[in-house]
Amino acid sequence: MLQFLAQATPPETNFWQQAPGTTGLILGVVGAFIIGMLLFFGLSTIPTQFRRYIIVGFTFLAGLVFVLQYLWPRPINADFEKELPRNAVEGFGAWLGVAIDPVAKTANILAAFLLGLGIFSLMRVHINKIRRRAQDWGFSLILIVSSVIMAIFGFWDWNMRQFNDPEALLTSQENWKFANYVNDALFDGMYQQMDAAMFSMIAFFILSAAYRAFRIRSVEATVMMASALILMLNLMGALTFMWSGWINGLVESTGNQFLTNFDLTVVAGWLRANMQIPAIRAIEFGVGLGALAMGLRLWLGLEKGGVSS
Amino acid sequence: MTIWEKLQAVDRRILYLILAVCVSAGLFITIEIPTDPDPSSRDLYQAIMDIPEGKTVIIQSDWTNSTRGESMGHFENLLRLLMSRNLKFVFYSAADPIAPQVARTTLARIIKERKDEGLYEYQIGEDYIDLGYFANAEATNLNMGIDLRNAWSGKRTKKAGAGEISIWESPVLKDVRKIEDAGMMIVVTASASIDVAVQRLNKKVSIGAMVTGVVGPTVLPFYQAKQVNGVAVGLKGVYDLEYCMANGVNLKDEDGNIKVLNKGGKEYPKITEGKTLARGSKYYGTLHIALILLILAVVLGNVGMAMSRKKPGAKRS
Repeated sequence: MLQFLAQATPPETNFWQQAPGTTGLILGVVGAFIIGMLLFFGLSTIPTQFRRYIIVGFTFLAGLVFVLQYLWPRPINADFEKELPRNAVEGFGAWLGVAIDPVAKTANILAAFLLGLGIFSLMRVHINKIRRRAQDWGFSLILIVSSVIMAIFGFWDWNMRQFNDPEALLTSQENWKFANYVNDALFDGMYQQMDAAMFSMIAFFILSAAYRAFRIRSVEATVMMASALILMLNLMGALTFMWSGWINGLVESTGNQFLTNFDLTVVAGWLRANMQIPAIRAIEFGVGLGALAMGLRLWLGLEKGGVSS
Repeated sequence: MTIWEKLQAVDRRILYLILAVCVSAGLFITIEIPTDPDPSSRDLYQAIMDIPEGKTVIIQSDWTNSTRGESMGHFENLLRLLMSRNLKFVFYSAADPIAPQVARTTLARIIKERKDEGLYEYQIGEDYIDLGYFANAEATNLNMGIDLRNAWSGKRTKKAGAGEISIWESPVLKDVRKIEDAGMMIVVTASASIDVAVQRLNKKVSIGAMVTGVVGPTVLPFYQAKQVNGVAVGLKGVYDLEYCMANGVNLKDEDGNIKVLNKGGKEYPKITEGKTLARGSKYYGTLHIALILLILAVVLGNVGMAMSRKKPGAKRS
């Protein structure tokens, strides 16, 4: 019986998650929407001086779950899916473990809302620009028209794949229809290619900067250039291969194993392991400490400015 | 005006033209350039080849076409490797909303490529699952480490002959209850999302990384600390992996030569089905040309500056 229980699939639905298409899910979404709207309007009516306390309190509670989940003592082999907690401390730890899921999903949902907020903000700015016939309003018009066309064909394509293709035939191009082709042409044929072209321009600026700005005027610049040169040479497989062959030949003819230290891959590896990685690790430590300090200030509502001011 | 002074004042458009011509020319040459793969790339190949049969691989695909020169090659290599080993996989994105569609497009192309070669055609729901986009990498990775079933609960997949089913009913995830059950987690990224994955999951699952040249140096500390089992960095990493796929590791060829040597390591076979030398091989010659140009630009720029200074009466900056 115990073995059977251990292999049993945990229930997929509970208060926090319902199966797709069920009445429970629809009621939950509608209920959450109504509560959300009421909260939204309710919070809007709160005087400005009290809003700070709400935001700080909410931030503190959200952060507290993750902090406690990480720091709360927990028996090494505890598996609260199969075992009952033995005391209140373990019970709270088990509850925290369950709470992380809805909190993490809420974080995902909030992050998704930020995308919506970004689109709303972008549209508002550019629609206003067109309405006022501001400078370069034509570009704003192109942006809005492009966005709308992309959204129409994107949703059309998604709708076909999601609701009209139970056998997943549309994963193969042979079965595509008009909307799939147009969506692909817009997304992969145009947008993605322009994205790649934009980034490829960096190469031109790098070359120009290397020629005009990378000047050896100090010891530091010389050391940096020498290191960069070794690492760049190491990226050229044909060169490292020939160099290795030459070094191996020298080692064989002289019997001096010390010469293997001059293999380009070995030198580049030494530079990486003993110079680059420790330096990056030191920087990361600094960044980590800074992030910790900033995180604590935000969590405890000590940070001035922004939403908490 | 001396030649050196003229060189100092060369129009930048001439530099751009030289770069465009040289780099484009390199794209027409696809040859197997002999190389000495970086140990980090070789370790990644070995780690993927060590995944036990029947295990499912988790792929976090966080790249878009802005870095396709590197990331697309990484992703294609990964798919070819997994498919050649008949390993099932799940993929999702946690850094960019566009990333899932880019991954889908690449996956569809690789499936078609294999179909055209007469190889097994991977099926959604049966061999792989597409989980889409998770908006918050931190929360998602944390939740995956605590309870994978909850983190991915409610997710469904299409499956030929069965319509839409829960991902947990699919053959891909039938033996996966927690992240420790996965064969490996591989993050293909052009951003710091690998940091989050390592921080949250490295103690629970073997992690491999396929990153861009820019992100590479920040991942190497994780590799040195053995928190990541292998890293393919940039275009060199793409070609390194293709080279390992084509030649194996510590594997003797017909002439008795070992092309990829790992002293003291065991022998790993080469990939015998499908393409091995592909995008990395196509771009690697171009990388050589671009790097030579870059080195020449720095040398010429500095020599020009030094020679201009030597001219009597020249200003010293």
